[in-house]
Amino acid sequence: MRFSSVAIAVYRKEIIDALRDRRTMLIVLVTGVLMGPLVLIALSSFIASLESRAEQREVYVAGLAYGPSLRNYFERQTWAVKEAPADFEAQLRSSKFAEPVVVLPEDFETAILHGDTPVVEVVFDSANKQSATAAPRVMQLLGGFSRERVGLSLALRGVALALLEPLQVEERDLASTQTRAIKITGLLPFFVIMAVLYGALNAALDTTAGERERGSLEPLVMNPANSLALVVGKWGAVASVSMVVALLNCFSFLPAQWLLRSDTLQAMFQFGPREALMFLLVLLPFAAALSAVLMGVAIRCKTFKEAQASTTFLILGVSLVPLMTVFDQSGGAAWHLWVPALAQNTLMIQVLKGEDFTPLQLAIPLLVCVVLTVGGLWFISHHLRRAAVK
Amino acid sequence: MIAIEHLARSFKAASPGWGRSLKRGPALVVHAVRDVNFAAPDGRITGLLGPNGAGKTTTLRMLAGLIAPDAGRVTVDGIDVAARPLDALAHMGVLSDSRGLYTRLTARENIVYYGALQGMARDAAHQRAEDLARMFDMFALLERRTDGFSQGERMKTALARALVHDPANIVLDEPTNGLDVVATRALRESLRFLRSPEGGGKCIVFSTHIMQEVERLCDSVVVVSQGRSVAAGTVAELLERTGQEDFEEAFVHLAFAHASTMDGSVPA
Repeated sequence: MRFSSVAIAVYRKEIIDALRDRRTMLIVLVTGVLMGPLVLIALSSFIASLESRAEQREVYVAGLAYGPSLRNYFERQTWAVKEAPADFEAQLRSSKFAEPVVVLPEDFETAILHGDTPVVEVVFDSANKQSATAAPRVMQLLGGFSRERVGLSLALRGVALALLEPLQVEERDLASTQTRAIKITGLLPFFVIMAVLYGALNAALDTTAGERERGSLEPLVMNPANSLALVVGKWGAVASVSMVVALLNCFSFLPAQWLLRSDTLQAMFQFGPREALMFLLVLLPFAAALSAVLMGVAIRCKTFKEAQASTTFLILGVSLVPLMTVFDQSGGAAWHLWVPALAQNTLMIQVLKGEDFTPLQLAIPLLVCVVLTVGGLWFISHHLRRAAVK
Repeated sequence: MIAIEHLARSFKAASPGWGRSLKRGPALVVHAVRDVNFAAPDGRITGLLGPNGAGKTTTLRMLAGLIAPDAGRVTVDGIDVAARPLDALAHMGVLSDSRGLYTRLTARENIVYYGALQGMARDAAHQRAEDLARMFDMFALLERRTDGFSQGERMKTALARALVHDPANIVLDEPTNGLDVVATRALRESLRFLRSPEGGGKCIVFSTHIMQEVERLCDSVVVVSQGRSVAAGTVAELLERTGQEDFEEAFVHLAFAHASTMDGSVPA
């Protein structure tokens, strides 16, 4: 019997089986369709809350009565000045209060008039992220007050203000809008990789260890069919499920952009059909390789549960490897492209930065995925008959 | 026609594990099949009778090409199983010890899937599924998912699946295990029909440890004990050879008298 007709028969059966498996379909739905938009919306809500707080321009002061000149300065800068709650320290520690507090000493105004340097505290809790994020803005505001006082004193004495600033410093950020966005959107490739992994996992285990557990593998290999053809059919179905998850996941970012609440993120996250296709180009070979490797691990297991335990290390590896880019500040090293999952993460980040791939950058992970797929399929077909009788 | 000559197979059993010393003990060798011989002609039901652990399942697995024998030869319609396993399998329908079904598929889909793996056209496989459903009285089951099937319903579906390509040789490993009286009688009738010229005059080999099955169904019996075929013939011939009137007594005499000469123990 021809190799292809066996593989197609097995593929058809496994796809029907997967479509009727509620667990597989739920994973496809959640990881494929919902996960991308949910992550994007969560990010956008976080940034939108930061933005709205920045737009409020409120500053909290403890001992507001001691510094009328400071209050005057704040109000001239169009900031709303509010008295801090009495127990602000306790509230900052328990994250009930999210604003840094300017603490003025009783002799603030007198000291300023005498030309002394009163100590002004900006109180925040670094464990309370919102207060820590807002603290530099308040420091900058106080810096402005200091510069104004110095400027007035020098002007009264006839000294040019330019003497205070012998250098004119200007920032020039080379990063494009998309590159700056990576700080925020850099997590997305990780979630896409996890979606592809979980898309393949259930189907991979069910077609191998699950079949052994049900006692259907032994009758299956008693058909006059080439083992490799049986394995190719099964792998094709698992890889298809995983690829569908990848496809849905990538294209779900397109409509998800309409739901973004943050204008900044909307401007920075430029993800069109071109980016979705580039993501797919990276992910499809990875889904194929991952399916083969997962099946290779699971074929040696007698039960679905045993296979779940055995694939834990693989899942852990695929989850942790992309995180290397978070800790590695040296930029993408050349060897990253040789490591599965890390390579895909690197290339997808490149897409989000708005950069193109070189042919070599695509060829290296593709080669690794082909080797893993072929090796995995050979291993499974080699073990299939042995696994059926054990 | 199935012929088995001097079949032997041993396995390495797991060693006792780490003992007091760090050295693993030597692997234990279990001789599952030592020397099995028999021939099963077409149009006859041949029973492979033996106690648990006698080597029946291992013999049938070698017959199906799942395990390679250490020694001996198996041929199916003249095809050497070791040399051309897939060709031999195309001439056989095997209902093995494991008879798991795909529970998310209907009985018809289970049967048609195996038809496709046997190289049958889709329409032919569907037609055959209906013919088999008629033969095994399972027409009502055909469009139901197999999840929740009773033991008898599962066995019927598994048997129909194994016979979808209308093989000339049928191999059944303990097919009546777990079946109630009604299902067992129905299976017996089906096998008799398949043996008859109207049913295709199939060569049927089935293993069992149940005496009544053999007495009521088999044209010839091969008694297997401790991995060896120790006697062969019709039920009447075996009774005559042992001088017994009861077949169970005859079986004990044949299987365990041989065992006692092997290990020195005396049968009860």
